Amino acid sequence: MNPRDVVIVAGLRTPFVKAGGELAQVHPVDLGVAALKELLQSTGVPLDQIDEVIIGNTGSPSDAVNISRVVAFNAGIPQKTSAYTVHRNCASALESITSGYEKIKSGTMDIVVAGGTESMSQMPIMWNKEHMLRFNKLASARSTGAKLSALSSLLVANFKQVKEIATTSPMKTTKFKPRISLIEGLTDPMSNINMGETAEILAKEFGISREVQDKFVLRSHQRAAQSQENGVFKQEITPIYLAPKFNKVVEQDVGPRKSQSLEALGKLKPIFDRKYGSITAGNACPITDGAAMVLLMSAEKAKELGYTPLAKIRGYAFAGLEPERMGLGPVYASPIALKRAGLTLKDMGRIELNEAFAAQVIACQKASASKEFCTTRLGMSDAFGEIPDDILNINGGAIALGHPVGATGTRLVITLMNELRRSQKQFGLATLCIGGGQGGAIVLENIN
Amino acid sequence: MSYKHFRIVDKGDFALIEFDVQGENANVFSTPVMTEFKQVIESFNSGKFKAAAIVSKKKNIFIAGADINEIKDLKTKEEILTATQAGQDIFNLIEDSKVPFVAAIHGACVGGGCEMAIACDWRIASDAKATKIGLPEIQLGIIPGFGGCVRLPRLIGLIQSLQIILPGASVPALKAYKIGLIDELIPEALFFDRLESFMANLVKMGAKKRRKVFSPGFGGKLMESPILKWKIFSESTKTVMAQSKGHYPAPLKALTVVKNTYGMANRAKALKMEREGFCEVAVTSVSKNLIQLYFWMENIKKRTGISSKDVKAKPIKTMAVLGAGTMGGGIAQLAADKGVRVRMKDINNASLMRGFEAAADIWNKAVKRKKLSPQDFQKKMGLLTGTLDFSGFKNLDLVVEAIVEDMNIKKKVIAETVKVTGDNTIIATNTSSLSVAQMSESHPKPENFVGLHYFNPVHKMPLIEVIRGPKTSDETVTTVFEFAKKMGKTPVVVKDGPGFLVNRLLLPLLSEALFILQDGYDIEAVDKKYTHVFGNPMGPFRLMDEVGIDVCIKVLKIFKASFGDRMEVSPLTEKFIELKDRLGRKTKKGFYLYDDSGQSRGVDQEVYKALGLSSPSKVIDTQEVIDRGILAMVNEAALALFEDQIVQSAEELDLAMIFGTGFPPFRGGLLKYADSQGLKSIVERLESFEIKFGKRFKPTKPLVDLVNKGKSFYN
Repeated sequence: MNPRDVVIVAGLRTPFVKAGGELAQVHPVDLGVAALKELLQSTGVPLDQIDEVIIGNTGSPSDAVNISRVVAFNAGIPQKTSAYTVHRNCASALESITSGYEKIKSGTMDIVVAGGTESMSQMPIMWNKEHMLRFNKLASARSTGAKLSALSSLLVANFKQVKEIATTSPMKTTKFKPRISLIEGLTDPMSNINMGETAEILAKEFGISREVQDKFVLRSHQRAAQSQENGVFKQEITPIYLAPKFNKVVEQDVGPRKSQSLEALGKLKPIFDRKYGSITAGNACPITDGAAMVLLMSAEKAKELGYTPLAKIRGYAFAGLEPERMGLGPVYASPIALKRAGLTLKDMGRIELNEAFAAQVIACQKASASKEFCTTRLGMSDAFGEIPDDILNINGGAIALGHPVGATGTRLVITLMNELRRSQKQFGLATLCIGGGQGGAIVLENIN
Repeated sequence: MSYKHFRIVDKGDFALIEFDVQGENANVFSTPVMTEFKQVIESFNSGKFKAAAIVSKKKNIFIAGADINEIKDLKTKEEILTATQAGQDIFNLIEDSKVPFVAAIHGACVGGGCEMAIACDWRIASDAKATKIGLPEIQLGIIPGFGGCVRLPRLIGLIQSLQIILPGASVPALKAYKIGLIDELIPEALFFDRLESFMANLVKMGAKKRRKVFSPGFGGKLMESPILKWKIFSESTKTVMAQSKGHYPAPLKALTVVKNTYGMANRAKALKMEREGFCEVAVTSVSKNLIQLYFWMENIKKRTGISSKDVKAKPIKTMAVLGAGTMGGGIAQLAADKGVRVRMKDINNASLMRGFEAAADIWNKAVKRKKLSPQDFQKKMGLLTGTLDFSGFKNLDLVVEAIVEDMNIKKKVIAETVKVTGDNTIIATNTSSLSVAQMSESHPKPENFVGLHYFNPVHKMPLIEVIRGPKTSDETVTTVFEFAKKMGKTPVVVKDGPGFLVNRLLLPLLSEALFILQDGYDIEAVDKKYTHVFGNPMGPFRLMDEVGIDVCIKVLKIFKASFGDRMEVSPLTEKFIELKDRLGRKTKKGFYLYDDSGQSRGVDQEVYKALGLSSPSKVIDTQEVIDRGILAMVNEAALALFEDQIVQSAEELDLAMIFGTGFPPFRGGLLKYADSQGLKSIVERLESFEIKFGKRFKPTKPLVDLVNKGKSFYN
């Protein structure tokens, strides 16, 4: 191994829990701390040698805007160690790893903590702009008359707000209602369509029927439930002991449903296009809370400290495409990542392709195998290649496990790394689509 | 003129008096310093300076007060009165000087330092964390005697001053500013700049003398009305009595002095009353004992736990605790509280969570009392992790085992732990009853094995016994000794042996309590004799309930096995074993009853019947009931100290008893108490008990030897 190779020494994550569930009360900082402190303590890494902490997050909680610094601080990483937060939508926690990779590869740093944390339960509901201005007016009012006038306009608006909340659908934006940052965050601002709608486009254009999608979902649940039963996730999950009473522990992902049936999936109604659509709550990934962290080192540092690396990062890539078809991002990014890694799709023993939507994953498989798509859209001379079902998301994916947006990238890397070792495959690809029209991909090598 | 401990810095119209006692880390008012200080003050009555500011050249200490060594040596009433008057006179000179004096306080300003400051015309202080102003005299069994009892109430009113004087408290700079104790609060970084402009301005305004007097608002005036003033004094007396149970005369005396002098126009008369009050308490053995205790504690701070000077302690940065129960959880909480990363290991998540909960609970209470910020709370929680396996044990500095008290299980776990930890990891046992030597056999490098005996509740009990096994290395001992200090505890190094030191001396008392019960005495009445008359924090029955009656009996059996017939055990122990569910507070009944929240509900009247005893009928002979327990301890202590050499000195033994069992500090410790009673009379008393109650009271050989040689424990 080259001394400047970048290796992963350890990786851990919290259980992933559907938003509003058992982790709903846990602040995203505390989710991150739970994963990070266990990572630090279980590896015994010398804290004063950590060069930087890079953590992905998309919700940017207003009480911890550079959440990475707060997580690092509370997890006991020395004050001198710098920390920053990265945001690349769904790939934020892949961006954190690739940023760390670059710094280590270049020789700038030797030890980087990378990861992501997200509480989608705690994404705030915001006052809309008009209401905010009313409040500002009150705050800056000096005379009693001005104060009263500002206060009354605020009160009137509040009444209207309550009326609108009571009489309209929560999804619908109206004049006085507060803005729901979770919904806005999952809406692409350039094309102004929701992530679910981008999946609808792919389902229609690639002719992916509801049944095909639901079958994919069923498989994801079955695989995840089976792996959970076999204890596959145990090595990557650290339990969360629920403060303040500590009378409950969350030990595993709550998403996987062993008893999932096609019938039950078939009963769900399409959400985004009620008439012609096929995307349902069942074949999309759930809104989720969770955090994941990895410890990156240069190969020489790992050797010096006596760690056995679990995987080596061979290369990565991010690529852009039309925001409306963001789900195809993996097909754009993966060929570049593989080229940089000096490998081909055929070399991959395992692939983790994030399951934002069943339709989107299947679309990626189809596009990847299509010579026409690859030549016209990607400028390749031939099809990128088949992504076989028997190496894809072998332990299930986000549809069953959940997708805490700012943490998923790291989760994919950890799961892939562990799966490569379990199945004794040499190479693996982790890739995901990114809201706003991007794809991200990373290639790992199992070095044992 | 030049001085040894002071330097006058000429700043034109005013001067800075730099206070820098030579050869000391802190500025203290010893006699030579006071003599010089007097000259300094007097020099300002003539000469060019229009004002003076007193500043300290010590880091983070303004003035630490009078020299406690000198107070300790004061014997006769006359000596004490002369010494106090000398101090009062000097501070009067400041008050009566022609120029205004400014106390420029940065760092600790306590005792005599505070009394000097309040004799000045102005007080300004830095907002540094180290800046604290207060009168801790009460804690040494004396009262402020350099004008503190007289001047402080005049400056800040009755209520605020009593809140400082009676508990011997100090207030941080901000609080001092709010209650009017200081006139200006200055950011630390600007302190000396602002001091100079303050002085320049003072001169510009005419450099007038000033006597600030407490001027309350409407509410304050109401509180100081005669009827409410009376109420304040009577309530304060009640509080003092409730806390001291009448064993500590100083707070009552301070209260009397404040009451009699408050509002008195004649300063000389008021100060005379103060120094007479001071004199009355300073001559008591209570004060001597408390001062002695203070010096012992200072000594411990300097000690390293070993005699060698070449061996240095290693820092403990990360540790693990095996077992997250009451003790393990407590040990983990304390360590994390002091900034150590702690990994708790237990066999299931439920047990681990009890550890987390207990820790969070302690910190949450601190957050509620505003002693801890929510941010720091999160940071401390971040130092605490839990595990069910041995992951993360490789790089630990220390592992403390606090698992079940079973030699075989402990040995097995220690052997397992050795395999997963680094070569230099110290493994410590928190056993309270098992042999450290025997346990160390399971460690391939017994030099890295040591006993670290915490007391329950860990965050409150101030003692840690460091048990040195036969092969424990100096490095290991000094490392855990320093670690214990870092935990804010007082460590005492003891040798291995049944019950080590504290439990070995405590058990004879508990054991005797069972005999006392058997003889037909009332449980609560006996406990009350020990608390109210003798001054223990708890009576023996209450203590057994707290510790767990089963635990006490288990240890008693170990003692019996080790010490043989000397250790007589009451047949009531067998009865308790039969009863099974009467184990003390943990089973909600023992000698007392407890409700679901653990609050005591008084003596369980059923207990007598359950133990096959008739209802208590005997009238208590107070002295006999107390002597039976306490002299049993003294008898055992002589053996532990001289024959088994469990501990190095009488001083450490007494310190351990005070901090480990709450032995009344005003009595100076078990052996100090024995000396004060006279060992000869103690031996005679034991002999009479031997005849009356049995041979367990036979005076031990070392005790008899002392008497024969005409010696005492301390002499």
